[in-house]
Amino acid sequence: MATVARQGGLGGKVPPQDRAGPGGSPPGSKQPRRRSFPVWRWAILLIAGVFFLIPLYAGLRFAGLKAFGEVFTYPGFGSAVGLSLRLAVITTILTLVLMVPTTVYVHLRLPQIRRTMEGITILPIVIPPIVLIIGVLKVAPWFLLGTPYLLALVYVILAMPFAYRSLDAGLRAFDLKTMVEASNSLGAGWPTTLWRVVLPNIRTAMLSATVLTVALVLGEFTMASLALYETFPVWIVQFEQNAGPVTTAASLLALFVTWILLMLIVTVGSRSARKRGGAQVALFTVAAPQESSQTTGEPE
Amino acid sequence: MTTNTASNAAAADGLRQTARTGGTSVSLQDLSRSFGTTRALDGLSLEIAPGELVALLGPSGCGKTTALRIVAGFESADTGSVLVDGKDISSVSAARRDMGMVFQSYSLFPNMNALDNVAFGLRMRKQGSAQRRKRAGELLDMVGLVQQAQQFPHQLSGGQQQRVALARALAIEPRVLLLDEPLSALDAKVRLQLREQIRTLQQRLGTTTMFVTHDQEEALSMADRVGVMRQGKLEQIAAPDVLYDDPATAFVAEFVGVMNRIHAELQPDGMVTALGSTVPVKGDSACDLGAGAVDMLVRPEGLAMAVIENGNGIVTTRTFLGSVTGVAVLLSGEVTVQIDKPSTEAAALAPGTSVSVTLPAEPVLVAPRQ
Repeated sequence: MATVARQGGLGGKVPPQDRAGPGGSPPGSKQPRRRSFPVWRWAILLIAGVFFLIPLYAGLRFAGLKAFGEVFTYPGFGSAVGLSLRLAVITTILTLVLMVPTTVYVHLRLPQIRRTMEGITILPIVIPPIVLIIGVLKVAPWFLLGTPYLLALVYVILAMPFAYRSLDAGLRAFDLKTMVEASNSLGAGWPTTLWRVVLPNIRTAMLSATVLTVALVLGEFTMASLALYETFPVWIVQFEQNAGPVTTAASLLALFVTWILLMLIVTVGSRSARKRGGAQVALFTVAAPQESSQTTGEPE
Repeated sequence: MTTNTASNAAAADGLRQTARTGGTSVSLQDLSRSFGTTRALDGLSLEIAPGELVALLGPSGCGKTTALRIVAGFESADTGSVLVDGKDISSVSAARRDMGMVFQSYSLFPNMNALDNVAFGLRMRKQGSAQRRKRAGELLDMVGLVQQAQQFPHQLSGGQQQRVALARALAIEPRVLLLDEPLSALDAKVRLQLREQIRTLQQRLGTTTMFVTHDQEEALSMADRVGVMRQGKLEQIAAPDVLYDDPATAFVAEFVGVMNRIHAELQPDGMVTALGSTVPVKGDSACDLGAGAVDMLVRPEGLAMAVIENGNGIVTTRTFLGSVTGVAVLLSGEVTVQIDKPSTEAAALAPGTSVSVTLPAEPVLVAPRQ
């Protein structure tokens, strides 16, 4: 009895549910659709925007326009920026020279250790910077102590997770093995193949590795400060006490300059990639767009 | 493609004049190669005459691609050697072997247009810019893609990409052309066109060619000789018609073309009995078999069939294939055989018709009963 009644009750409830469904409205009725999703999208964007913009706005208010002019003449600014830029250049070059051949080699010859590589390259993020830099200072050879190269070497390690991931994604986006073999069979040796075939096709990935490395170097504070280098972030913190508005203006400038740099690289990279049919450039490319279309060879 | 035939021919003739004279012979001697516990090649030996197109045919994992990659220099053999024009090239790097290769997956360099792709090998050979552009243009003309010279790979269709890849491989005037299932990623119609184009070009240029495929139709239609491979060994190598008409083993017989298996009885005197008649056994296929139950292998066109009351078979289905119709006949013992009939005659063979199936008089292959 009870079962029957419940079934009847359920049966009674079904029609209204049905009507609410997409096929439920009678044909010809022109009720406006509820567009809840875009509203939420805007709300989230707004909240995120406010969250990010308020500190910027506060910084701008605090610094005042005058401070932006004073930044460049402030003592120590020039040398701090100079050091940071030098570090950025050295780190980027070292990172690319180290990571590009390594990643290519892993993809071609040791694909089975790609997972291990991913694990290893994440370590610098996991290990606290203090631990890293104190360790480095203890074991660093004398001729490196005090030179920017020491810090640059540490930054190479810090940049490794980002560089590896960018390059890994870039290499997965095209059929590296076949390209290299095609190039070899046409008479190109290893250096030529790397230069003319591999590098042009991972240019975008190299760009994003560069961008991430530069951004990292320009913003790193802990290690530089502990190792007594007066880089740009260290300079900002040192002068914060007696010249608040100026250092705030300086950090805002740094932020904008870095941001413009990133946007520039992304735009330029995307444009040249589109010309060759490549994918849009993203700073963190995770998916490999062409991988699914590749025909897998026989496991012979 | 057809509109360009005349200019293609002219371009190809021009190339032939510049090509090496005499052609190149290739010899694979007792090649073995293992990957872990898998034995990809198990003592493969093969001779390719100058200007010949040899296809290696076989199921997945039979070692055919490994063989090709060893010749190309991308893999090395555990034992055995590869001789080109009598010289052992085992220690020569892939870049110095002078072999043009077309790959199964699209292999054009995405950062270069079609012309630069074709010119790449010439650039590696230090040819001047004007000269290599001219020659790359000729090659593109030869494969009928001169209009697409400035296009990048992503702007080309799959078939066009493989044609550019072919032009690129031929541009370096390779001593040997290696084709690694170049057509398997393409759709049926393009595959057919390109198949003919490759064969025509290869014959005009006289380039010694090794072609790997798992598609028997492709192998039979293109190659001078087809080598059927199985488990790292060459099962049989012969001209396509010989391979079809006179297969050396049951594996070859069943891999190439359609083959019927009929329950049969092997007699102690070496004859074999089935469907009420006794015929001789072909070759030494009965060597390892004792007298008793075996399977007899007969091609669809080898069996004769006549409509008769209470025959030994019943028509079950008909498959229209154009000029011929494949008729499936259920024999006693729950064995179904396929028999090809001209479509005009097959009209009388409705499903359910009783027929009598008879053996050919010529010798047949036998295999262990399955």
